[in-house]
Amino acid sequence: MNGRNIGIIARKEFSGLYAEKTILFAVLLQLFIAMFSSFLLVGLASMYDPETMAGYSTVEYAVGYAGEDSPLVAEFAKRDDLRLYRVDLAEGVAALKERKLAAVVYAPDTPPDAAEPVKLTLYLLQNDLQSSLINVKMKDVLLGYEAELREVRSDRLESFPVRLNFPEGIGGTDFFEFVYGLLIPLLVFMPAIISAALIIDLITEEYQRQTLETLLSTPVTFLEMIWGKILVCEVLIPLQAGIWLVLLAANGIAIDHAPEILLHVAAGGLGLILLGTLVALHYRERTSAQFVFSTALVVVVLFAMAVPYNPLNLIVRLSVDTAGAAHWVMLGIVLLATGLLAWATTAYARRVADLQQTGG
Amino acid sequence: MSHLSSVLTIAVWELKKSMTSMGRNVLPLAVGLLILLVLVTGFAAEQGIHLQDGMYRLGVDDPDVARIVAGDDRFTVFQDSAPGLWQNRYAYDVIVIGGEVYAADDGKGRSALKALERDYSGYVSWVATGQPDLFAAYPLWINMEYVQSELDFAATESGRQVGAPPRSASPPVPEGPVAAMTPPSSAVAFSPDDLRRHLATDTADTPFTRYTDILTADTGMETFKTPSQLSPPLPFDSIILIFVFIFPLYFTAQFFMMSIMNERLGRVGEALLSTPVRPGAILLGKSLPYLAIMLLIAAVITLMNGASLLILLPLFPVILFFMASALIIGMAARSFKELSFLSIFFSTLVTSYLFFPTVFANVHIVSIISPLTLVVLQLQGDGFTAAEYLYSTSLFFATSLVLFYAGVTNFTEERLFSQERLLPRLMEFVASGISASRPLLSLGLLAAFSVPFVFMVQMMCLVLFFNMPMPLSLILLIGASAFIEEFAKSIGLYALVRSRPGFLTVKNLVAGALLIALGFLVGEKVLLLATLSQITESVFGEILFLSLQVLWMPLLLHFAGVLIVALYLKIGGSRFWGVGLLTATMVHAAYNLYFMGGLL
Repeated sequence: MNGRNIGIIARKEFSGLYAEKTILFAVLLQLFIAMFSSFLLVGLASMYDPETMAGYSTVEYAVGYAGEDSPLVAEFAKRDDLRLYRVDLAEGVAALKERKLAAVVYAPDTPPDAAEPVKLTLYLLQNDLQSSLINVKMKDVLLGYEAELREVRSDRLESFPVRLNFPEGIGGTDFFEFVYGLLIPLLVFMPAIISAALIIDLITEEYQRQTLETLLSTPVTFLEMIWGKILVCEVLIPLQAGIWLVLLAANGIAIDHAPEILLHVAAGGLGLILLGTLVALHYRERTSAQFVFSTALVVVVLFAMAVPYNPLNLIVRLSVDTAGAAHWVMLGIVLLATGLLAWATTAYARRVADLQQTGG
Repeated sequence: MSHLSSVLTIAVWELKKSMTSMGRNVLPLAVGLLILLVLVTGFAAEQGIHLQDGMYRLGVDDPDVARIVAGDDRFTVFQDSAPGLWQNRYAYDVIVIGGEVYAADDGKGRSALKALERDYSGYVSWVATGQPDLFAAYPLWINMEYVQSELDFAATESGRQVGAPPRSASPPVPEGPVAAMTPPSSAVAFSPDDLRRHLATDTADTPFTRYTDILTADTGMETFKTPSQLSPPLPFDSIILIFVFIFPLYFTAQFFMMSIMNERLGRVGEALLSTPVRPGAILLGKSLPYLAIMLLIAAVITLMNGASLLILLPLFPVILFFMASALIIGMAARSFKELSFLSIFFSTLVTSYLFFPTVFANVHIVSIISPLTLVVLQLQGDGFTAAEYLYSTSLFFATSLVLFYAGVTNFTEERLFSQERLLPRLMEFVASGISASRPLLSLGLLAAFSVPFVFMVQMMCLVLFFNMPMPLSLILLIGASAFIEEFAKSIGLYALVRSRPGFLTVKNLVAGALLIALGFLVGEKVLLLATLSQITESVFGEILFLSLQVLWMPLLLHFAGVLIVALYLKIGGSRFWGVGLLTATMVHAAYNLYFMGGLL
């Protein structure tokens, strides 16, 4: 193999990518997925959080109350975002259906210290965004009522849990866990998956467009061509992942151990690219190769995620600085597996090239 | 009759071709991979997903506290004496000394604290479940009854607030008839042991099971809860439907896309084009097998879930839409990599378009934009009416037809084998979709049909800007939505100017702008977007759909926007499109800002 020839092929593919602006699509796609998932997890989730929602919503919700008097009424009085109305049950539910009420509670006549539980009935609108909001607000009220009832019945309890006193007034959000535990591994690994799909396109295209013979009539050998393509796909991975890390950092999301993260992604990504190369060399036809590869990808990723200290988990640990030295061991294992795959790919590509020469 | 037979011949031929090329080589490996997938899924279910392992460091002085987080892999637990913990407190995210919890004062510390709080409440529930007197530990149970809102189309259309907060002292009185109700009994229908078991499985609940639950039968216990179990019913459940119903369809569409692409490789399709069969018949024949397979797959999935086959009705236009866009992408992409990225990008967009409105399921008007909502309704057992079906699917039928039409008119040698760049190619596609004899009418229709796409992109912008600080997000949203609308309105004109430079006479310019403005407004009105502002409960909705309140003002605005772009096109040709767009966007945004003045 000649390093210069590999470089020539890599440059050719890179300029092809650049001319088609496909890479732009790839980045756009990733941006889209990122913002979509962030909206799902952070955006909508914060809508459920009454405190975050307060900035957007100053609405007072009307709740209907039917049935017997209970300490629940006093719990409601503590809230300024829920207004309780005494209603007849049937009328209340009818008003709920017309959206004049946000919820209706029915309280039975069970005494607080009875043997059986107090069974409230809560009427809500089905599958409605507003119901979800009401649900959160009601939960607080009902938890207060539950604590009161538990107090009344406490002499009937036998064992008590270990007590923990949590500091007051520190309200965390899910943002941190979402960003570091999901978004960062997702964003950083997406380029690896994209590159693996890309290598299949690059290789099968040479076959299906019948450009292979022209290419091989130059001094470039088949093996050099394959490795040139692998090279360009591999280089794109840390490049894109690095851009993500820089962008996140620019948004105030500091990431520890960025170089190590890029190393893990580059190593794992090379493995995926080699897998894609093997599949593409076997089928030499895009539809079949992409189909088999995407199925194989699901298997590989699912398997990796089920193993403790998998590369994705290590990226999470590295980004929050809890990885320790263990990640070097995993990197070694991944590199070893990738080396084996590289050897297999080279051997297979040689065989394919020989068959082509004797066959054609 | 001869058309029909040639369609069938091509369909059979297509089926044979794809079966022989795919079947022999791929099937054995695909079966093997499928078995592997089942095995790995089992393995993953047993081992759990280890993504967030070891995110937080927890220091404790009591092994009993360590047991609280034993099942939570996010915590790495260190045990030390109280003074030792306090001395090294900066090495931990959370420490627990003598039952007091201290958290590091940063994002990670707060996040760890929240995770610990959740684990703790799970642990408290677990202890309570073990009590011999269950109803002393859980004295309060809530029976959830969900009722259907009976708001009809007309009510929302006339702008009535959804769930308006009354400020009066007396309770609201229903307008409609009140159905008699027997008060629910205070007796509990389940035995304490059943409830105990339910509580136990509930604490072991993973996010994954709640998604699989919606496809399994209801035991009745899901609606009977303790207050701490009252988690908001996330409206995301429908995303599982995307995975179940839409993904297989998307995969099959890929094969069709590839089949179209293959015709263009090495000019294979030339032979097909030289036959007397019309392009329309060729494409129909080529797409029939895939259409049939997709319908079959959807039917099998439906039956496997024990659902009614009526689900296929709303899925059909979605399938058509997938096919139509696969056709266009297969015809437009220059290389495999372009094909890959276009198709992934496109499918992500469509998936979110399908999924997004279902979040608002049952707040009818908006949610029904997505046919998937009808699937949700049908699965819930509520069904849907013919009017709802028409409302929800007509966009998909219409856009598919438009795309198919564009595909058929462009299925010529000139277009198929040209190596133009992507955007000029797409412009050619648009241009040949505009009728030569009635260009003005075509322009109006094009504008009307672009509205669903515009709506979708605007929704995406809302998503993008949602997390930004307030004034910035507003301004960005105003600018972006104005730009998108102006872009959609002027795209037809731009394509026309490129292909027929002499078209833009003054008369055509004014008439074209008027028709486009009219077409766009009608399209907007049909979608009834105004209702969305009431649902989101925020100022965001107001910006997007501001122009729907008074009719003649938005018409004038749309007209002015198109006119500006058209003038630029007339003066400077297609090169001035960008500048024209920018000017029109600024005018549009200024108008919106002016009307938003009260809100800012």
